[in-house]
Amino acid sequence: MPAERRQGMDHAHHDWSPISTRGKLSWPNSARVALCAIVTLEHTEWELPEGSFSADQAGGLGVRPFPDYPRFSHREYGHRVGVFRVLDVLEKLGIDATVAMDSQTAEHYPYLVKHCLDRGCEIIAHGVSGSQMISGNMSVEAETIFIRSSMNIIEKATGKKPRGWSGTDYGESERTPDLLRQAGFDYVCDWVNDEQPYPMRDGLTALPTMLEMDDLFTMSNRRVTIDRFAQSMRDGFDVMYQDGASNGRLMTINLHPWLIGQPFRIGYLEEALGYVMGHEEVWAATGSEIVDWYRDNQPG
Amino acid sequence: MSLPPHRVDYSPIVERPPIKWPSGERVALWIAPNVEHYEYMPTKHGPRDPWPRTPYPDVQQYSYRDYGNRVGFWRMLEVLDQYKIRSCVSLNLAVLEHFPEIRDAMVERDWDYMSHGIYNTRYLYAYTEEEEREFYRDNVETLKRQTGKQLKGMLGPAISGTIRTPDLMTEAGLIYHTDWMHDDQPVPINVESGKLVSVPYSIELNDSPLFRVNYEADYFAEICKRQFDQLYKEGAESGRVMCIALHPFLIGQPHRIKYLDEILSYITSHSDIWMTTADDIAEYYIENYYDQAVDHAKQYRV
Repeated sequence: MPAERRQGMDHAHHDWSPISTRGKLSWPNSARVALCAIVTLEHTEWELPEGSFSADQAGGLGVRPFPDYPRFSHREYGHRVGVFRVLDVLEKLGIDATVAMDSQTAEHYPYLVKHCLDRGCEIIAHGVSGSQMISGNMSVEAETIFIRSSMNIIEKATGKKPRGWSGTDYGESERTPDLLRQAGFDYVCDWVNDEQPYPMRDGLTALPTMLEMDDLFTMSNRRVTIDRFAQSMRDGFDVMYQDGASNGRLMTINLHPWLIGQPFRIGYLEEALGYVMGHEEVWAATGSEIVDWYRDNQPG
Repeated sequence: MSLPPHRVDYSPIVERPPIKWPSGERVALWIAPNVEHYEYMPTKHGPRDPWPRTPYPDVQQYSYRDYGNRVGFWRMLEVLDQYKIRSCVSLNLAVLEHFPEIRDAMVERDWDYMSHGIYNTRYLYAYTEEEEREFYRDNVETLKRQTGKQLKGMLGPAISGTIRTPDLMTEAGLIYHTDWMHDDQPVPINVESGKLVSVPYSIELNDSPLFRVNYEADYFAEICKRQFDQLYKEGAESGRVMCIALHPFLIGQPHRIKYLDEILSYITSHSDIWMTTADDIAEYYIENYYDQAVDHAKQYRV
């Protein structure tokens, strides 16, 4: 539906709320910045399932005809090698990761599920595979099954119902937040429009990701170099740390191990996050910890 | 059940038994110049158009690449010679027939070769099983006739393939396939009969995807050094493979060549590196680690 020309948002998922008018959000121990590190573990399928939608074909040498050995295997690097480098860096710096895991990974890589749980990561749902996005073309029935089965498979694999949702390549239809809430999710990471959590309709909380702090978007889609990506992380943090003195800020980054976990990139990530964690008033936390704090301590 | 294409068993690198290279080196380093020829008037066969920019010919793109054979190769060679690099060429085999001076320069240096198809404008995607079988026969025969060497591996022509490729490669006597970007160590690839491994090639440390867009050679040098540092560190525990992929038409440009020198100067200043070729890595791995790797991966099957 085209927008109606009136005050406020042109959808009903959440209210209009400029950050300049909000009350002060205080993080635990008066931290200025809450850091949330999402690690996206998704399996890229050998063949795109018929009728599936996929906007982001990153990896390999761009979109190639089938069979695309380089793209398929480039993505698989994350599961075999890259993820361990990324989780090592986060653990070394005292950052508990929030792992967004698709159901194919949860079902076919039980080692990774256990590995993430053993390290104290929170595992949130991430759809079916890295090759299938939710889109506006999906029927409501198909989308409901997609969301519920992703949730159920994660619950079965981890023994715990996932509380958060991060859609594959941020894919949503106009129904998605409602379907997520109905399925029982507490929070969603698809909306990249804020530096604080905010309420969505009927009790769902948005945990906004910073799109430019998504390695895939910045380094693969925008072709920013790794040194520049790391510099942006430090520069962006500096400003949020300053702004966070008067009103707490949220820095949610999204990391794809097949990309940032490459040998030549990982050191830059460690340097950038080391810089962030070298500041006293930073609270590194998982998605659920941040959302719980936010719900209990919402500013007036 | 495993996921398609059922070619690779999952094996997390952190759990594998350590790999020791022949003299206990930390990193097996191989340099892969892509020595290629693109046809002036190719035939479009299958889903990929060799020259999508214009109706054929595309003189700009054709001659840009041909610059590699006329000029860039020779400039690259001077630097490789300075560091006594024995390359493992990703070779369009027709180059041996078209450009004998390049063939002789490579043969004289005892380089190794993996097939990169016959021409870089002839992709495998649409090949029938019989056509692909004939393709390997031609590859093996041409390399033997022109260089005296037995063909052991392949990077598919322009990194193309079919679902049958690994099976038909082993049938033709090949032992390694470098189209797989999934690891920092060789990995067994499941085939109908025989043994095939992937040897890590790179589409990250590769001048072609980088210089096709907005990256430049100073960045290439920086990430090659960083890659080396990381793998060298990890290689103290278990051997790693590092590949630098080059294209003479790109790295052989006058404004870029000093960065190749910088990369090689940095890397070769370290001890404990095995300067080698994909042929040698594959043979060594199959001889010493293949069976162990297959056994080890069994525990991760679902």
